[in-house]
Order: sequence, then C-alpha cells, then structure tokens
Amino acid sequence: MRYFLQRLLQFSIVFFIVTFAVMILMRLGLNAPGDPARTLLGGTADQALIDETTAKYRLDSNLFVQYFFWLKGMLTGDMGYSVPNSISVAAYIQTRAMTTILLGLYATFFAVLISVPLAVHQAYKRDSMFDKVGSGLSFVFVSVPAIVLAPILTIVLINETEISFGDYVLTIGGWFPRVGDKIYPWEDLWAHIENFFVPTLVLTLPLAAIYTRLLRGDMVQTLQADFVTLASAKGVSPRRVLWVHALRNSLFSFVTSIGTQLGAIVGGAIVVEQFFDLDGMGSMLVGAILSKDLFTVQSTAAILVACVVVVNLIVDLMYAVIDPRIRHMRALA
Amino acid sequence: MSTAVAPPPAATPEAPPAIEPAPFKPKRKRPSTGLIFACTFLFLLVFMAVFADYLGFIRYPDEKVLVDGKAGRYKLGPGWDAWFGTDGLSHDVFASCIYGARVTLQIGLFATAFGIVVGGFLGVLAGYFRKTTDRVVSIITDCLLAMPALLLAMILVSRLDDVRNDVTWLDWFSRKWQLVFTLGLLAVAPLARIVRAQTMSLREREFVLAARSLGAKPGRVILREILPNLIPAILTVAFTGLSIIIAAEGALAFLGLGVEIGTPTWGKLINDNRNQIDVAWWATFFPCLMLFLTVVSFNVIGDRLSRRFDIRQAGV
Repeated sequence: MRYFLQRLLQFSIVFFIVTFAVMILMRLGLNAPGDPARTLLGGTADQALIDETTAKYRLDSNLFVQYFFWLKGMLTGDMGYSVPNSISVAAYIQTRAMTTILLGLYATFFAVLISVPLAVHQAYKRDSMFDKVGSGLSFVFVSVPAIVLAPILTIVLINETEISFGDYVLTIGGWFPRVGDKIYPWEDLWAHIENFFVPTLVLTLPLAAIYTRLLRGDMVQTLQADFVTLASAKGVSPRRVLWVHALRNSLFSFVTSIGTQLGAIVGGAIVVEQFFDLDGMGSMLVGAILSKDLFTVQSTAAILVACVVVVNLIVDLMYAVIDPRIRHMRALA
Repeated sequence: MSTAVAPPPAATPEAPPAIEPAPFKPKRKRPSTGLIFACTFLFLLVFMAVFADYLGFIRYPDEKVLVDGKAGRYKLGPGWDAWFGTDGLSHDVFASCIYGARVTLQIGLFATAFGIVVGGFLGVLAGYFRKTTDRVVSIITDCLLAMPALLLAMILVSRLDDVRNDVTWLDWFSRKWQLVFTLGLLAVAPLARIVRAQTMSLREREFVLAARSLGAKPGRVILREILPNLIPAILTVAFTGLSIIIAAEGALAFLGLGVEIGTPTWGKLINDNRNQIDVAWWATFFPCLMLFLTVVSFNVIGDRLSRRFDIRQAGV
C-alpha cells in the first residue's frame, strides 16, 4: 500500500509536469501580447474580440496563473473552448473519442487473443518449425510501423490492384470497402466490422508481435525452472503446467508492456485515423496542433497522459495480483 | 665470417612425437541469413545514397521520365525504364527513394547521436550517484514516456518553426535540425533507462571499487572505468532506437511535418502518393518497402547485438 501511494505521488508529479510542459510548448513563439488570442481567432479578428478572448481565458497573465486557471477548469469538467471550431472542447472530444477508444480496445483485445496462445505454444514446442516461423513473423511485424502497414494493407486488401509482369496480370484486393465514414456497432454491426477491420488490423499486428515476443521469451525461461519440472514430476497434466503454473509466472514483461505500449497505440491511432479518414481523437489532435488550437491540444493531451498514468498504476497493482510474493513483501514493508 | 644461421638441431628419431595441443579456435556461429541480408541491404542503401550523383542508373530526383517524349502522371509502372515506376510529377520513384534515404538516414543518425549523448549522460549520473539525482532523472524519463511519443513530436515540430522565426540566432535551425532535436529527445528516455540500469550494476563491480580505493575521482571513474563498459548496451539500444526514429520520421512526414518542400523523404513520398493509390500502387508501395526494409534491417542488427551482449530491452 505504501508502495502504491509512492507510485501515485510520482505519477501525479509526472502528470502535472507534462501538462504544464504541453501548455508552454503550445505557447512557444507566441510572445507578443494578444498573440495567443489572435492565433486562436485567426488573423482577421478585430481587436475588441481579441481583447475579450484574452481576458476570458486570462491569456495575458503569467503562465502559472494560466495553468491553474486551466487546471481548475479541467477538474470542474470545463475543458475550455475550441475557438477555431466554435465548440466546447468537451463536446468536441465527445464526438471523436468513441472511434479511438474502439480502435484501441479492439487492437489490444485481438493482440492479446492472438499472442497468448501463440507464445505459449511456441515456448512449449521450442525450436520446432512452428516456433521458427512464429518468431520470424513476429520479428517482421514488430518492425513494421503503422505508416508502412496502412498503405500496404490498403493495396492488398481494399483496392483492386492490378500488378502486371509483362503479359501476366495479377489482380488482388477489393475484399473490403473503402474506409471513410465511421459506423458505430450499434448502428450497423456488420458494416462496422467491415469498416473497422483494416484499421484495426494495422494496429493489431505490430502489437500482437510485440506481446508474442515478450511472452515467448519469458515463457521459455520459466519452463526451465525447477518448479515446472517438479509439477510435471508430480503428475500435473502438461496442459495445466503450461497454462497455469508456467504462464502465470511469465506474465511480468507482458503485463508491463500493456502499460508501456499505450503511448504507441495512441501514436498508431493518430496515423491510422489520418490515413483512413476516420474521425477520431488522433485526427482531431493533428488538426488542433496544426491550427494552434490551444485548449483542445492541452485538454486532449492531458486526458491521454492521465490515461497512460492510470494504466501504469493499474499495471503496478496487477503485479501484486500475478505474484503473491510481491503482495506479501509489500504488506511487510 | 659465415653469417649463415645454424640449422636447427635435428630431432632425435627415437623421441615420441609431441602431442600438439589443438590450436585454439573460438567457436564461431555462422551469421544468420537475416543478418547477412540486413548488412547487405544497409550497405547498398548507404552506398547508393552517398554516391547517387555519380551512379548512372539513378536519375536526378527532379528529372522527369519521358514516355514517347512526353511526361505524364503515373505513366510508368515498375519496369525496366523506371524500376519503381513514376509518380504524379513523372519523377522516377526509385531515384526519389534513394535521395529520400539521404535525408532520412541523416536525421536518424544525428537524432540517435543526440539521444546517446543526452540520455547516456543522464543515465550515468542517475546510476552512479543514485539518491536525489536518480529521483530527478527518473522523473524526467517518466515525463518523456508518459506523453505519447508521436504527440510530443508533433507538438514540438509544429511549434519550433515559430520559435525559429522569433529568435534571430536560430537561423540554422531548419526543419531537418528540428526533426533531429525532436526525435533525439524521444530517444533520451529509453537510453537513459538502460544506461542507468547498467551503470548501477557496474558500479558495484571490483574494478570500480579498485579505482575508487586508489583515489580516483567520480569523473575519472565514470569516464575511464564505467563508460567503456557501457558501449555494448548503448550500441544495442542505438540500433533499435534508430529503427524507431526512422519510422517516427516517416509518420511525422506523413502528418505534414516533414522536411521542406522539394526534399524527398520516404514519409513524404508515401503521403504525396497515397491519394492515387488505386491508380498507381507502386508510387506508395516502394517508399513503404524501403522504409520497412530499413527498419527491419536495423532491428535485425539490434537484435543480434542484444543477444551477443545479453542485454534485455523490454522497455524500449
């Protein structure tokens, strides 16, 4: 518990530093008085409006005052106002968040679903053909960034592509509709699946590969441990040894990486949403950053950072669930 | 006077032949196919990128490929005339890819160097002095890791142009150097972490104790005893980091935050041609392929090094 509180303290410090840094970064280069407001309102706004906006959001006071003004707003549920889009940031996020959340959840879910059985079987049949092919594939997919996978899957799966070698023409693709307007599952489930399949795949494959590699590595080591031999010698069925005894003790890096990969998923989602024209938080952020929409960037970044921090805290708690030793050690401390 | 060297004494015939110890041969593992491929690919790529101006089979990036005397949008598919086909401005995609490699590799190398210097410095300090220094450094790395990397990079690169316009002495700080700085910053946290962990275990070793008991100052211990032993770890992470940085540069260029117009990079080629992907798949596919092969190659080398030096890098 004390350990947990310590982590909580450290993570809250990190949260405040990062959100403050984002605020400063977004204001870089906007030094003249009235500059932030002028940027928000666009070049042609008249002076009265600029003054009004400046006063309303205290854009002329020093950075700390601005920060606490913004933080107070965040805590009371007021995330500020997206001036270029004339909509409150909260409402803006609401229209976009679902796409990103769905993408992230699908990607994580399917990545875990693919990687756990694959890694366990690979470790069990170590150095077999299955293991070698699996390791090779996961190595390739670890390296492939979203920016590469998205166009290639578009060529292979979505577009009808004619590849010609002299006279011979090979036609592939055309199996999935072009992704464009997002469709939510409660509107039309089948269309939603068709729509989200390729974007999800782009996020899932690298993630599954990372998980598989980590879990396989740990699993191979665990399977050599004495307690596994003992369990087998006692007559515990191989399946139980594998899935209960060994798997539980191999989950460390795996669980940690679920926390550390969150940032990568967000990064992937930014690229994927931009590429497939899905309106999510990623494409919203791209737009907001390029149009210098201060409050949207600040609040969205704060939410994302909070997510990363909270997930990492949960991961810390999960350690205790996975490993009783840690539970008892910390109870003593 | 005879200068002839006396002949060696003849071996007595009755002496048993001495059992010669087998010459020591370190057991060498043949490098894997992947490693050979990775090194060959990177070597060829660097070679072509450096000498692109002098190699006859590489066109200039702004040279138009003419078909029957005319230029046309996406006229040529991949074939003998243009290996990777031509793009919307009827430029040779292969030439663009090679010239794009110049910029991309430069950014990757400089950014990694920046990450090594800053991250290594922080990591050594944290691992050697521990206590408060360690706390401060770990908060810095936590902060850098808490922010999704691509988001931080986007914010920084999009703002640095304004800073450059504001500050007169930052005239040299072009988009390329902005990218180097930003991507280097992203490499700081993983490097600092691994260097910190390695330093912590190294500082407990006997040779460090020996140096300290001889009265060496911390600066000397770090530079002469610890730093040389950190090189394998840094090298390993640097290769993996290089592949991540190159991918990130591609993603940034794709999001419209690449280097200046007119300079091709792989990410920009992908972004420029992706809307015509159903007309000309090759103009998008081949830059993707180059980016992919480069990233895989660096990863293969990084993976090989990490197994050679037994370095675990779960967090990278």
